[in-house]
Amino acid sequence: MFIFRNKLNFLIVIIFLSSCSSMNVTQEKVNSGGVKTVEATSINNENIRYDSMAVFANATIYFEFDKSNLTSKSIQTLKSTVNALNDNSSIQITLSGHADERGTREYNLALGQRRAETVSDYLVLNGISKNRITVKSYGEERPAVLGQDEKSYSKNRRVEIN
Amino acid sequence: MKKTFLILIFSNFLLSELVLEITQGTEDPYRVALVPFKGDKEISDTLNDVIQNNLIRSGEFKIFESEKLLSLPNNEEEIVFNDFKILNIDYLVMGEILTEGSNISAEYQVIDIKKGSKVRTSTVYGIPNKNRQLGHYISDGIYEEITGIKGIAATKILYVTQKEDFNLVIADADGANEQILLKSTEPIISPVWSPDSKKVAYVSFETGMAKVFIQEIASGKREIVIENSFQISSPSFSPDGKFLSLTMYQDGNAEIYILNLKNKNLTRLTNHYSIDTESSWSPRGSKILFTSGRSGSPQLYELELRRFNSRPKRLTFDGNYNAKGAYLPNNEGIVFVHRANTNFQIAIKYFDENFIRPLTEAQMDESPSISPNGNVIVYSITDEGMGLLSGVTLSGAKFRLPAKKGAVREPSWSGFLR
Repeated sequence: MFIFRNKLNFLIVIIFLSSCSSMNVTQEKVNSGGVKTVEATSINNENIRYDSMAVFANATIYFEFDKSNLTSKSIQTLKSTVNALNDNSSIQITLSGHADERGTREYNLALGQRRAETVSDYLVLNGISKNRITVKSYGEERPAVLGQDEKSYSKNRRVEIN
Repeated sequence: MKKTFLILIFSNFLLSELVLEITQGTEDPYRVALVPFKGDKEISDTLNDVIQNNLIRSGEFKIFESEKLLSLPNNEEEIVFNDFKILNIDYLVMGEILTEGSNISAEYQVIDIKKGSKVRTSTVYGIPNKNRQLGHYISDGIYEEITGIKGIAATKILYVTQKEDFNLVIADADGANEQILLKSTEPIISPVWSPDSKKVAYVSFETGMAKVFIQEIASGKREIVIENSFQISSPSFSPDGKFLSLTMYQDGNAEIYILNLKNKNLTRLTNHYSIDTESSWSPRGSKILFTSGRSGSPQLYELELRRFNSRPKRLTFDGNYNAKGAYLPNNEGIVFVHRANTNFQIAIKYFDENFIRPLTEAQMDESPSISPNGNVIVYSITDEGMGLLSGVTLSGAKFRLPAKKGAVREPSWSGFLR
């Protein structure tokens, strides 16, 4: 008995010998899998030139593990940010949320975003126009410091304002 | 759970500079005699090396090389069955390499020693300069013949490496034959295969924020799946390849959507003020598994897609962090990242059990991906600050695929390619 099965570019022929015990007979061809390398042309953020006045609004806000609420210290920092933004009405700011490396990458991306949104909400509640704020997250992909200890982790759970 | 014994094998592949390390195998493995393939010596050495390592890495085999055997038959007629029976060998594998110009093929036989008869005879036609591939096909044939389960030696793994730049890389399941799909100065995360293994989806930050791309492997052709101003991440193809589930931050918060890849229609699946992300499809495409922070800590939930107004059902209750889940191909359970106290481990939960089984015991194990035959899980570990790939079989065997350069992470296993 012959069974032919054609699948893509290889062929399997199975012959069942109906004698005392069955034996598989197969033929197949190695599949050639081509791969093409692509280079991503990135918009390099380091080259974006910020308004020199924006420097006054630069700050970093830190968070607890798996948390996105503001501490009293963070609120102190954000008060000066609000003042700087009120004094310089032309400044646009970007809030980049970050997480430490513990936990999954996608959950950390979402956590970084929540942290940045929390900071954004505070600024908006204090009279800053939402149109002046860009919110994004890098999750755990852009650590401020490398290291597998709580000291390093605490520096990486942050929102950078610039 | 099966007991394990400890074996340590380091074998150097001269061709690929890859070091494969097997740390544990299962008790009571199949005992297989591997008689060196006849024909071209160099090809024979490669095939023997590849076949032996593939079978050992599965954790289910103990291989007897020529020096451990009492006799080396040149053909089937010469087999002295008692020489193998005395070593308690279950199967004998022998074969021949046939070269004709640049065409290479190999013919091999699997002989059942206890039955005293041949159970398989196969021919594999190779491709010039891809002798390792030939070895993978032969390994899979032997594996399938003996275990009754499809082998995964001829599959591929997709992962991200970072030295200074970020690379999206494809390699054979044993880590050899690395090929770069995408190079970028910005982060690349969450790579996955399309069900036909011809395309990949991933998140790239090259535009300045997270965006999901789909790229054809052979042509390099790529596109952003949705053009809008929102952050988009965590792609997962439906089993039929027609839909992509993803996480979009339309209202600032992570919510899960399903994108119809043909007409680009978006359907929103979740609506909760906490984080919802890391969606993946059940084997038949009827359910979506995802991570949600709605209980106060990350936990796994599933959503029925074919039931009107279905509510997410919580699947994990033990531990303070259960995330990045995937269904087993036979839909008997889920594999995910689990934290009971402080360590992140890879764990499995079968649907007919009410407890979680940890599969690993390091401190920071992440990103589990299941082989298409459902037998092996590849995941990333952190060893002295360095990212490496590691594997564990459901029968208890463990192995490592160490990085050649830079950090390696987020492995994703292809479908069957044979």
